[in-house]
Amino acid sequence: MSTPFIEFRGVQKGFGGKPVLRDLSLDVQRGEVFFIIGTSGVGKSVTIKHLIGLLRVDAGEIWFDGQRVDGYTEQQFEGIRRRVGMVFQNSTLFDSLTLADNVALPLRKHSGLNTRQAHAEALNLLRRVDMHDYALRYPAELSDGMRKRAAIARTLAGKPEVMLFDEPTTGLDPISARRIDALIRELADTMGVTALVVSHDLPSIFGIADRVAFLYQGRVYSIGAPGALKVNGDAIVKQFLNGESAGPMETPGF
Amino acid sequence: MAIRQSIHRSIYNLGSKAIGAVTVVRDLWLLFIGAIAGVLRTMRRNDPSRRPGEIWRQMHSMGNRSLVFLIVTLGFIGMVMVYQSCLQLARVTGDYSQVGPQFIRLAVSDFAPTLTSLMLATRVGAGIAAEVGSMKVTEQVDALRMCGVAPIDFLISPRLVASFVVTIVLSILACGIMYGAGGLTAHYSFGVNLNIFFDPSNVRNSHVILGLIKAASFGIAIPIVSGYCGLAAHGSSEGVGRATTAAVIGSSFAVIALDFVISTLALLVMPGGV
Repeated sequence: MSTPFIEFRGVQKGFGGKPVLRDLSLDVQRGEVFFIIGTSGVGKSVTIKHLIGLLRVDAGEIWFDGQRVDGYTEQQFEGIRRRVGMVFQNSTLFDSLTLADNVALPLRKHSGLNTRQAHAEALNLLRRVDMHDYALRYPAELSDGMRKRAAIARTLAGKPEVMLFDEPTTGLDPISARRIDALIRELADTMGVTALVVSHDLPSIFGIADRVAFLYQGRVYSIGAPGALKVNGDAIVKQFLNGESAGPMETPGF
Repeated sequence: MAIRQSIHRSIYNLGSKAIGAVTVVRDLWLLFIGAIAGVLRTMRRNDPSRRPGEIWRQMHSMGNRSLVFLIVTLGFIGMVMVYQSCLQLARVTGDYSQVGPQFIRLAVSDFAPTLTSLMLATRVGAGIAAEVGSMKVTEQVDALRMCGVAPIDFLISPRLVASFVVTIVLSILACGIMYGAGGLTAHYSFGVNLNIFFDPSNVRNSHVILGLIKAASFGIAIPIVSGYCGLAAHGSSEGVGRATTAAVIGSSFAVIALDFVISTLALLVMPGGV
């Protein structure tokens, strides 16, 4: 196997003295659709936010394209953020801007386009996610699924090599969720985008993932192809996949 | 042993609070410098943080929407102050000739900018903290960073410019409202001649400059303190609520503290002038 494109080595992170990630290690290959799954609060979103400097590790190393990035300054992370885009859980479109303006914002920043050129390119990107008819609408006027698609268009504006998706299908109806899945897969297949997806949506995982890491107690408990995970005989993995309330899995807060 | 531990704990707590206060002041100063730099950056025509009309929108939100609230509040305050002054004078000398001239002097140099800013600290400060805080807890601030846009340039700088202008304009307006309401109260309640009341001869240039300096300073302090509270919000809607409360208290405190500092400096720089 080639050198990993993204690698987490022994990452530890806590909040207010409470450890969330304890010695987490995983690697992602270029062009892969890699899912991180696990129960709520296990540290899935926390893990991916470290890659782009939105959170800083307490201990451990993060490597991106052969460079160790965990000690980067905010300014150095700006370079990483040009190569790595993120679609946040709540879409996080800017309420005061239309969809076209939302998508044009990173275009103006990263591509140096003027306002008119950025808007033309924003329309192209919105067309790619089938949202061009809503370019002049504000986020509040759209459904969750539409906002998610527009957020993907905004992330694509930076022409990222890696896209991080934080629970992209949460709160969506099954049809919208599968459309988002198809879009993620298409981005990987046609543009070579590496997708790191945080999710606990099983149809997504088994539908589009190349590999899956199952997080438990702040560590990678199981990693491999989705098919292998399905036939995994481990009681904890089985309990999660079957969605059983009773079992050996410890879920803090329940 | 227990007493010694208690003393150590008290000293430790005091030290922690002092360090915390110094850190907050440092962060506010850095935010102010960052916001000024943001204003300069967004003056560039093709800066992505530049949003045409955003400063006007903020000025409309802060100024126009505060207008009725300010006119009513400051009008009543002017009426009450003049009424009470006349009432006390009626018991002592019965000479009302200095009520108007002294009132306008105080209104120009102190009451108008301070009371206007205290009112704006509640309305505008809460609004800024709630808006910025909501964006923080819903990860919109992180999304801005991911778009390569500095959150301070996008969120704080336009509000800083708008608040600076609006506070000065509203302070001037408030001064007129207080003076007018006070004059009418003196005239109709105590029979004070309007020509005697509306005599601005006691107002010197130094009073006007001092009032404008205060209004400008308060206009800068309110968005900086409120923006800081909003950007420090965390958690969920409860965190936004805490940020909003902190913004109102912090902005009001900043106005009063700055009023004290500027008035003291003015007394030192131009003794007898204020």
